[in-house]
Amino acid sequence: MAEIKIEMQKLPNGVILVKLKGFLDAYTYGEFEQTINNLFNQKMYKLVVDMTNVDYISSAGAGVFIGSIGVAQENQGNIVIVRPKPAVKEVFDLLGLSQIFTIVENMESALTSMA
Amino acid sequence: MNDVNPAPASRGGVKDRLVINSELKHLKLARYFIIRILRKVNVAPSDENKIVLATDEALSNIVEHAYEFNKSGYIDINVEVNPSQFQIRIMNGGRDFDMGKVKIKDIVEHIKQGKKRGLGIFLMRRIMDEVKYSFKNGQNQLTLIKYLTTSDR
Repeated sequence: MAEIKIEMQKLPNGVILVKLKGFLDAYTYGEFEQTINNLFNQKMYKLVVDMTNVDYISSAGAGVFIGSIGVAQENQGNIVIVRPKPAVKEVFDLLGLSQIFTIVENMESALTSMA
Repeated sequence: MNDVNPAPASRGGVKDRLVINSELKHLKLARYFIIRILRKVNVAPSDENKIVLATDEALSNIVEHAYEFNKSGYIDINVEVNPSQFQIRIMNGGRDFDMGKVKIKDIVEHIKQGKKRGLGIFLMRRIMDEVKYSFKNGQNQLTLIKYLTTSDR
């Protein structure tokens, strides 16, 4: 599977930065979902997802966030979304995700909201 | 729903067709096909991502529910644009699957409960002005229509 590139970086206070590049549709979402599940299996529940380089998302991609926010929060964590492009933010808005997720414009805000 | 107003003559009579196998890897190709037509007929950029998304969701649902991930099926995508509307007619030979039957009453509550099913159909219905479905002679036909306005450049 290609078309989505995922990089991870450990940040202070148990926060994991997940950087995505490409698109999240019904073909590519599985890799992202597996990444999140692997982090949860390692008891890492504080995730900052950098969407700067994600050009497109469909409901399949959004579904990964929907399915994981509850698990993160039940384990004293959270999922914070950073810098989604307008086309991506639009999908979050259409699905009402903007009311549920913390969406910020820079890493500083993301880390502050995770503290 | 938008008001329908006269639109540029360049939109008149534009038709195009793409046939793909029922494989999720072809979604990207289908999205580019739709984007190319949207730009050719000068649909407003604010509608571009939405129409691409609605089409993508329809195709994903066909692969998953009509063909149940059987890759040997066909999906026949026909786009027709006239001054007042952008129409996408999608045919497939999978099992009878009426997307119109799937309804979400409260999207935020649905999502708060962690439910993912039905989101694509919700988006399709929210974005498009008309969503029509029929099953005839062993073929599903889904028609998505977006009304065009003078604001669509």
